[in-house]
Formats: sequence, C-alpha cells, structure tokens
Amino acid sequence: MKKLKVVIVAIWIYMISLSPVFASGGDPHIGEYLPLYSVLPFVGMLLSIAIFPLVAPRFWHHHFGKVSAFWSVVIIIPLLVAYKATALHEILHIILADYIPFIILLGSLYTVSGGILLKGTLRGTPVVNTVMITIGTLLASWMGTTGAAMLLIRPFLRANAHRKSRTFMVVFFIFTVANIGGSLTPLGDPPLFLGFLRGVPFFWTFNLLPHMIIAVSILIVLYFVFDMYFYKKEGIQSPPDDGTKEPIRLEGIQNFLFIAGIVGAVLLSGMVHWGELSLLGVHRAIQDIVRDVLLVMMGLLSLIFTKRRIREDNDFTWFPIKEVAILFIGIFLTMIPCLKILQAGTKGELDFIIAAVQNPVHYFWITGTLSAFLDNAPTYLTFLSTAMGSFYSGVPETQAVTLLIKENPLFLLAISAGAVFFGANTYIGNAPNFMVRSIAEESGTPMPSFFGYMIKYSIPILVPVFIVITFIFFL
Amino acid sequence: MTIRKILFPTKFREYAFNSLESLFVLKKAGLREIILYYVIPRDDVGFVPFGGYLKKEEERLREEAKVRFENWQKSLSEQGIENRVIIEVGDPVPQILSVAEREKVDLIVVGKKKGTFFENSFVGTGTLKIVTRSRIPTLASKYMVEFECDGECVLRTNRDKFTRPLFPTDFSDRSEKALNLLVSLKNIIEKVYLCHIIETRDSKGHSEKEWQKIELERKKLLEGYASTLRSTGLETKELLGAGTISDEVIRISRGTDATLIIMGTSRKDRLHELFQGSDSHRVTQLSELPTLLVP
Repeated sequence: MKKLKVVIVAIWIYMISLSPVFASGGDPHIGEYLPLYSVLPFVGMLLSIAIFPLVAPRFWHHHFGKVSAFWSVVIIIPLLVAYKATALHEILHIILADYIPFIILLGSLYTVSGGILLKGTLRGTPVVNTVMITIGTLLASWMGTTGAAMLLIRPFLRANAHRKSRTFMVVFFIFTVANIGGSLTPLGDPPLFLGFLRGVPFFWTFNLLPHMIIAVSILIVLYFVFDMYFYKKEGIQSPPDDGTKEPIRLEGIQNFLFIAGIVGAVLLSGMVHWGELSLLGVHRAIQDIVRDVLLVMMGLLSLIFTKRRIREDNDFTWFPIKEVAILFIGIFLTMIPCLKILQAGTKGELDFIIAAVQNPVHYFWITGTLSAFLDNAPTYLTFLSTAMGSFYSGVPETQAVTLLIKENPLFLLAISAGAVFFGANTYIGNAPNFMVRSIAEESGTPMPSFFGYMIKYSIPILVPVFIVITFIFFL
Repeated sequence: MTIRKILFPTKFREYAFNSLESLFVLKKAGLREIILYYVIPRDDVGFVPFGGYLKKEEERLREEAKVRFENWQKSLSEQGIENRVIIEVGDPVPQILSVAEREKVDLIVVGKKKGTFFENSFVGTGTLKIVTRSRIPTLASKYMVEFECDGECVLRTNRDKFTRPLFPTDFSDRSEKALNLLVSLKNIIEKVYLCHIIETRDSKGHSEKEWQKIELERKKLLEGYASTLRSTGLETKELLGAGTISDEVIRISRGTDATLIIMGTSRKDRLHELFQGSDSHRVTQLSELPTLLVP
C-alpha cells in the first residue's frame, strides 16, 4: 500500500512537472518543444511488454489491460492539460488514422484465416515439414504472419506428434512463417501496414523480395538439414500408420475469397483518390474509410459463411486479438511524443539518435535490435520518423515518405527489413510468436525459455543470416 | 432409452456437489457411470500477451481439480457408481459437446449460473449454448435458485428433481424420445404431469366449433401418451393449456408441485430461433425448475 502511494505521488509530480513545459508550447510543431522525458510512458509501455511476461506472467495475463491504460493516462492527461486542442487532435489522429485501421486489418485477417481449416493425416517427415514451412512462408505475405501461422501451426504440430525433437521445428516455424515470410506486402506484417498508411505504396515492399529469398532460403535449407539429422537420430524408418489415415483437405475455402477481398480493399485504397473527409477534425481519405468498411465486411462475411465447427476445430478464440487491441491502444497513445520529437529532426530532443543513425546499416541493425525486444510495429514507425526527421525535417509526413522512397529507398528497405526480420529474434518481437509458442506448449511441445530461445536459436542461427543480408544489401 | 452414462461438467461452483448428489438416485433407473469433467478455459492459461502459455498455472489448476474431484469420486464409489475424471484445456462449450459425443454419454448435466446478471434467466450463457447445441439429452440442474414471486424473494432447492416431472408434449418425434426417457425413469418417478399447449397461432381465427375440434383432437393425442405412461405403472395427470408455449408451461409448472420439466427440444423456423430462441430453450431459461431437454 505504501509503495502504491509512492508510485501515485511520483506520477503526480511527473504530471505537474510536464504541464508547464507543455504549456510553454501550444505550437503545432509540438515535437520541437516536447521534453525528452515525455517519451518515458512509451518506454514504460514497451518495457512492460518485454518484462512482465517474463517476471510476472500470471499478473500480466490478468492485468495487462490496466497496465496499458495506466501508461496511456500518464501521457494523455499532461498532453491534454498543456496542449489542449493540439494534443486532442494528435490523439484523435493517431486513433482514427493509425490505430483503428491497424486493428481492423489485423482483426479481419485473423477472423478470415481462422475460418480455414487444414484437415487430414500428415506425417511429419523432413520433406513434408519443409514443404509446410515453405507454404506458410509464401502465404504469410498475403494472409498476414498471424493468419498463416494460425492456419498451419496446429496441423504442423499434429503431423509431428510422433517425433521426439519438435522444439527446433516450432522455432524455425516462428522464424519463417511468423516473421520473415510476411515481408513482401503491407498485409504481411503490421509494421509494413503502418508504413502503407503513411504513404508507402502497396507493391513497393516487394523490393524486399531478394532480402527475403536469401534469408528464407538459408533458413529452410538449415531446417531441412536439422530435421533430417533428428529424423535419422530418432530412428524413424517409415511414418507410423495407425490405420486412421484421413485424406488431406482444406475446409472453409470460401475464406480465400475473403482474403482476396482484403487484398483488393487494401490495394484499392492505395490506388484511388476520392477526396477527404473530416472526422472529429482529423482528415481521412475517403478511400481509406471505404477500405476499412470493406475489411470489416470481409470479417463479417467470413463469420456468416463459415461453419462454427470449423472455427471450433481450429480452436479459434477472440482472446489474442482482444489482447492486441488492448495493448496497442496503449502503444499508439504513448508513442505520440516519441514520434513527434523524432519527426522534429535535429530540432527535437532526440537529435542524438538522428545524429547516431546515419547509414542504412545503422537503420537495419538498430530498427532490428529494438524490434526484437520491443514490438516491431512501433519500432518501425519510430525509425521511419527518424529517417524522415533526418532527411526531411518539417516536411509533411506523406510528402516526406514519397521523398524518402524516391531519394533514399535503401533507408526504408533497411527499416522494413530490420523491423520484419528481427521480430523473429525473441518471443516478444512479433505478436504471432507468442501465439505459436502458446499453442505449441499447450500441445505438449517443450519450448525454450525467453533467453533459451535467443541463446540456443536466434543468436546462433538468425544473427549470422542477418549479417549475410547486411553484407549483401546494406553495406 | 436408459441413462447409463452421465457427463458431469463442472466449474466447482457453489452447490456443484449437491447437484451431483441429486443424481445418485438415477442408479435405481440404470445409471452405471458418471464422468466428472473439468475444462480449464484456454484463455485462462494460454495466449499470455507476448508471453506464451502458463504451464505452471495449468498444472496448478489440474491439481486443484483432481483434489476436488477426489472427494466426489469417493462419494460416487460409495454409492456403487463407476466414475472417471477428465481434465482438459480448451473452450468449454465445444469441448463439453465434443467429449459427450466421444464418450457416448446418455445425459449431460449442466449446472447453475454464476450470478444474477440477467434477472430473467436461470441459466448462464454457457449452459444455454450447451442445451441449444447438444444432440444428447441435457439436464439444466439448477440445484438452488433464487427468484421473485408475488413481490417476495424465494429460495428454492431442486433436490429431488426426478420425483414429479412435468412433461409438455407437442407429439413430435422429439416428444416421443422424451416419453421413452421418462418411461426409463419409472422407478424413481412418483407422478407425471403430462401437458399439451395449444399455441395461440393454432387457435387464431377459428370458430368455436373448430376450436372445440382442435381441443378434442389434442386431448385424444394426450390420452394416448397418458396410456403409455400408465401402462408402465406411472401415475399420470393430464393438463391442457393454451397460449404461448413457454409462458404456459411455466404457468402450469407453478400451479402444480412439479419438480422437473422434461421436454423434447422444439424447432421453430431459423429466424424465430435466432431472435427469440426455441420454446424449450426459453423454458430452460425462464423456469426455476430443472429442465431436461431431449433433442
């Protein structure tokens, strides 16, 4: 109780101390005036995501919503007190233009992919497993890393239930299907969609194809070698046959139409310009609103036209998407000062970061390293803002993105590749990682601890792959 | 149709064991085995945001459930009823339905609702989903219920639930199945209240003569059911009602000393079911008596 009082008093002191500094601004360029410590709630939010699941998982599981609300309130109240209408506009802008489209896309992909069920008897041989991982990797850019991972992880685990060494299989699944596979389109991984919302063209991300091919090829060959080694070591001569062989089939295939609908809706919003609407003072392109409505419709159509049994056989639950929605409102709100300061470039308090991050290789590794330990979506936005602040300080965002793509595309490639690829380095790097881990552990596959995952797998396997990528593309 | 094997899913809520105890009497009607079933909701242990799976929490919940079940198993064994415990992680409703099919049970017994968030309902949403979707007879046990009657708060204990069942019939195939089930319980039943409700829409626009004709036809059908019951030695009282089925069944149940409502699940058109639920499901929701639905 005493500790709680101390925390409350500290928060009040923090809020009061912020207010006069904020009040001295009142300028639309608030990034130039915001103090460095206004990024603390963002840091607190991200550290909560990184630390609580490790040190207090039970507490975190039951109270993550309160933690998210806490950090949001800590930043919103002082911002509103100090900047009033300007702050309100920034908050509404990030909610209406970033958060809502982001959650709608994730929600619709999650709902639609949850309606597709892969059934049948698959026997986990090295060839079958490699094919499954390859298919998942190819699908990830089109149905999202979460969608592809959720579609395939249970059949993958069932196929390998008879195998003794399964941990490495799930780890490689996380590397490829849940992360690197999603690097080709804005649908693949959340950071890329946030880039799309800021003006990165839909097909521009295809420029990451060579990076992806190299990374995935190395990983899949390595996987096959490992799987072959363990398959022989386990002495499995021929796949076990318990007489219950079921032909392989996909149920709920109408959902592929809805996925096509999602792709079409996102593409459409990037191709047409139907003017703007002002929603609560926030300007939003009509085509973006239409896209969001279409995405919601695809999700609803999937719910209506998919048999309940298919979702149940998929163990479909709304819980993970609710978690993401609750946590990300906190991330987006606390992120406002950080983004604004970075966008202010050398005029902002984070000028030392801009001075330190100079070359594509810096962007690749710093965006990547932080993406591994923080969620990759806010990290991507942070470094996109850093790049824009560095090259085009004071230029409106959409214009700055266009200029970045035209004049310095390597920087955006480095940020994108870093955010997507490095998300595989830890369990907390990308949302599907923890979902895959949870499903694997529930099915009885032992998974390494947080540090075990890094020490045994990501550092020895992924980091050398990223060094190769660096030498080929970013030096 | 005899109840030999029961699935008893539980969340260890208040009076769960009393509810189980009230089933012991079914041994006289052929009961051999009760499967005690606990589902650890997946959302309680899985998908920790950015964390994964709470393996230790799952183990703790399993152990707790095992310990709680031990005493129950002891009581069941003392009664000479075979028993087994199944503990699984999953989504409770589909998991219960799936294990009931897998184990080929004859009856699912579902319990009491947690609180009184919806004043008008005596069962929770989970129970309602099970009774709506189950293809196996399902008993909503409602061991202890609290409700308002004539402005007073009444506490009712549904202990000897099989003593005087009220059997509303619409003479359908499902009613036939319910009748068979009722006959199989003859050793533990004192008296059956057999009733039929002439629906409002059936009587609408009819002349008095036509109305009398309908009444006569239904009475005759009711008499057929009554004869079947009497032929097995069951004391039977016939009752005829008119109006909305669910309201009338509840009204009749309150006018008698019935201890249970047993009925075949009725199927309305999909739109009606979507918005109002079927009559049998509405009775399950609105009646303070235990409800045994036969699909």
